[in-house]
Order: sequence, then structure tokens, then C-alpha cells
Amino acid sequence: MRVVIAEDLALLREGLVALLRENDIEVVAQVEDGPGLLRAIAGHKPDLVIVDVRLPPTYSDEGLLAAIEARRRQPRLGVLVLSQYVETAYASELIGEDTAGIGYLLKERVGDVRAFLDALHRVADGGTVLDRQVVSELLAPRDGATEALSGLTARERDVLALMAEGRSNTAIAESLVVTPGAVEKHITNIFAKLDLPACDDDHRRVLAVLAYLRVAR
Amino acid sequence: MDERARLSVELSHARGAVSRRWMPTLAAGLSIGEYARSLERRLALLAAVLLAAIWALSGRGYFWPGWAWLGLGVVVLLDYAAGWAWRQPRGAVRRVASVWTLVGVAAVILLATWLLTWLLAGVHQFWPAWALLGLATTGSGYSLIALHDRVLVARGRRALRARIDMLTHTRRQAMDAQAAELRRIERDLHDGAQARLVALTLQLGRAEMRASDQPEVRQLIADAQREARHAIAELRDLARGIVPPLLADRGLAAAVESLAARYGLGTSIEVDTNRPLAPAIESAAYFVIAEALTNTAKHAAAQRSWVALREEHRTLMVLVGDDGRGGADPDGSGLAGLRARVEALDGSLRVASPVGGGTIVEVSLPCG
Repeated sequence: MRVVIAEDLALLREGLVALLRENDIEVVAQVEDGPGLLRAIAGHKPDLVIVDVRLPPTYSDEGLLAAIEARRRQPRLGVLVLSQYVETAYASELIGEDTAGIGYLLKERVGDVRAFLDALHRVADGGTVLDRQVVSELLAPRDGATEALSGLTARERDVLALMAEGRSNTAIAESLVVTPGAVEKHITNIFAKLDLPACDDDHRRVLAVLAYLRVAR
Repeated sequence: MDERARLSVELSHARGAVSRRWMPTLAAGLSIGEYARSLERRLALLAAVLLAAIWALSGRGYFWPGWAWLGLGVVVLLDYAAGWAWRQPRGAVRRVASVWTLVGVAAVILLATWLLTWLLAGVHQFWPAWALLGLATTGSGYSLIALHDRVLVARGRRALRARIDMLTHTRRQAMDAQAAELRRIERDLHDGAQARLVALTLQLGRAEMRASDQPEVRQLIADAQREARHAIAELRDLARGIVPPLLADRGLAAAVESLAARYGLGTSIEVDTNRPLAPAIESAAYFVIAEALTNTAKHAAAQRSWVALREEHRTLMVLVGDDGRGGADPDGSGLAGLRARVEALDGSLRVASPVGGGTIVEVSLPCG
């Protein structure tokens, strides 16, 4: 896997590079700002870019805008955006029309090295990874969604949140300490209650959940 | 035609006629004072001409009508000057004007008398000099004493106004500087301390992977990571409380939209301002909207909720309304704190919340 990293804090950037290299992931370029990122993807044709939302010179949302532009130029490019804070508005802008190969995580998730590497691979393979905080904000009770979501049991809501993060059945089962069979049953129930078309593929499942959540907003 | 209209037509006819008549009439619409003065001037002129004619017909000896002219002229002059003095503002100014009227008339009498003695009796010495000097000195002295106070008051008032202007200006600067400083702190928290802690958790994560065969070490590292995550979360909450990141990054409209989406009230948002606003104004408007929406979500049980932002005459108007149960306390602690914040920016905050009639919070913030 070939990766470009756009992060302005040298300490964090070097840590990421070291982590990826230790795990046999090739870092083809390290950049500090948005224009640098766009030049790097044109030159190196990476599989994945890891982008900090706030980059110089204004430290507002140039990273996000650069990531969206990078996706526009190379639609099959995996984009993992890291942010110091969660903003559902940013998540929906990033996702746009196509959720394939998109990730949006809080920065501190890099500390959980295994989960972070797993997320990297899933995004590079065209999957979707949303931070659980984004998911919980999307799942927060509100007018449109409350009615349908209130029909779900607490356990079903947990499963739905993990599904929206892009986890597989096995990963959900591990995380909730239940059998994969139990997870499958929950998922069947959720899809029935939310009136969503049932499907097995993790990625299409995320799409269905996101579509539902976005309509409900 | 009604009575009043007919009267005004008659009066305007009479007014038109007055310029052709030699003597003024009360019917021309003049006030008693104007009529009297007009009559007096004409009579004085008539008398002067009449006396000169008598002098001419009676053998043109010593030119005594000169003295009569002086007498008549002084009366007319006094009348004019007194009228002028009376039109001055009440108090010291009018008193000073009256004194100068008398001084002026006295000076005219002296000069005219001297002119007549010179012309008629051949007195060459300028005898009124000392009298005129005395009059001028007395008038000036009186003016100085009478207006002294006034000059001082005016100067004091000017100084006060300048001080208010300066205080308003510096207070605004202080508010802007504070808001800018808070944004800087928010950025420093996110991009400084928080980012370093993230780098720390990453290094700890790498260390943990290498220590996979030493469970005790892994446990220690996991504990350290948990602490670091808590610190990061605390810093994030702290920064969000100072300035919401979306407000700092994208401005008021985007921040309000995100806020409304979070409350899920189906709030309709109308934004009619695209100029970047001062950070202090944006923050105040944002926190007012946040508080009002919180109250709506908590207490109002509303069907509809709306936010309107627009700029009118260099003032940012913020309206937050709902159609809920109303009855909000305009002096409740949340709103009182916001009112203080808004008033510090020379703005105002009004709350209308009749029981059963919804709640409207209206804020105006001058944003010159």
C-alpha cells in the first residue's frame, strides 16, 4: 500500500511514518499543507492519503477541502481524514455522494494502533470508516430519527453504531462480546425495523445506514 | 368652502395687497408686534422728512432737524437691537447680547452727537474717545464674567464626550482583542497541547506493539494511553467551550447550522449576511443562539423553531424564535449572562415570551 501523509506537526507526522513503515506500509510522501497534498497525489499516485483537517496557513479546514479536491481528481483514492474534533458537517461533506474509500476519525484514535491500521486497510480497500463519535452524534435522538430509532433495543443501537463505523459482523461480535450469530440476528432485526434492504456486504451495509441517518436528519 | 379656508384665502389676498399699501394693516396677517414696529418705522421716517421740509420752508437757518433725526434714529435702532438681543438663547448669552445692545446704542449716540457738533458747531476735538473706551471695556468685562462659566462647561462637556468616545473605542478594542485571544487559545489547545498528546499516544501504541510478550509492560502502557486519551478529551471540551471549532473555522452561518442540526428541532435558518464579522460579535451571536436553542429544546415543547441572522444599518440582528409554550424568564441566569455579554458590545437583548405564545429572543449587535 502506498500512502501520502499530510500533517503539519512534525512529531505526529514522523510517528505516523514510523508506525506505517514498521507495518510494511510504504509512505511515498509527507507534506505539510493542502497544495502539497495535491502535488503529491499527482506525482506519486498513492492508494491512500492520511490528512489532518487543520493545515497551514490558516489552520481552519484546508485539509478537509484538499482531501475533497484530491478525491475529485482521483475518485478511487482512499482518503482518511484525521481531526482534533468531530463535526458531522465535515463528515457529510467528505462523504458527499460516494462513501467508498472514506474515513473520518478523531486524531487520538491513532493511539489504538491495531484498530488504526485496520481502519487504514479498510479505507484503502474502498470501505468506509466513521469515528464512533460521528456515529453517536448521527444517532442522537432528534425529531425525524427518534421515532424509528426508539423502536430499537439498546443492544440493537450498539450494533447499529458499530455497523455505521464500518465494522464486520465478526468485529462487532468481538467488540460486544457476543457470538457472530447473535450479531446477525440483531442486524436482521435492525434492517427490518428501519425498513432497509438487507445485505451482507459490510460496505453496502454502511451505505444503507448512512443513507437512513442522512434522510432522518 | 369652510370658514377656515375662506379666511386663509382672504388673508392671502390681504398679504398680496400689503406690498402696494403705504401703511401696514393688521388685516394683512401681521402680529401686533410686527405691525407696531412697521408703523413706528414709517412714522419715524415721515416725521424726519416732515421736519426737514419745515426747516427748508422756514428759511434754512441753523440745521436743527439733524438733532431730530438723531432722536428718531436712536429709537428705531434701539428697537432693532433689542429685537436681536431678545432672539438670542436664554440666559447668559441673552444678557450679554442685551448689554452689547445698550453699549452699541450708546456708542452710536455719542458718535452721532460728535458728528453733529463737528458739522454744525465746528468742534474739532474727538471728545467721545474716553467714553467709547469705557463702554467697550465695561461690555467686554461683563461678557467675560457672564460667559466664563459657560465656556468652562462647554469645555468640560467636550472633554467628557471625547472620553466617552475613547472609552467606547477602547472597550470595543479590548473585546475584539479578547475574542481574538480566545480563538488563538483554542487553536493552541488543538494544535499544540492536544496534538502533542496525540503524538504521545501514537508512540505509546508503537511501544505497546513491541512489548507484546510482556503483559505487565503492556498494561502500564495501556494505562498511560487511557490517561492521555482523557487529557485529550478534556482539552477538546475546554476548547469547544471557549470557541466552537466550526465557528472559528467556517464562521457564524456554518456554526449555527451545525448547532441547529445537533438539537434536531428542525430549525429553519435564514442568513442574510455574508461579510466576515468581528470575532467578538460572532461569538456573542453564536452563544446567544446556542442558549436560546437549548432553552427551546429543553422547555418549549415547540413545533417550529427558527433562527434569522441579518445585517441592517451596520447592526447584526439575531432572531431566535419558537412556537412553544413561552413563559421564559427574561432574567433567568442563562439569558442574564448573555445580556451582559451583548451589552458589553453596545448591543441589546430582548426576550418576548408570553405564556402559551412562543418565545422570541431578539439581539442587536452594532458591527460597524
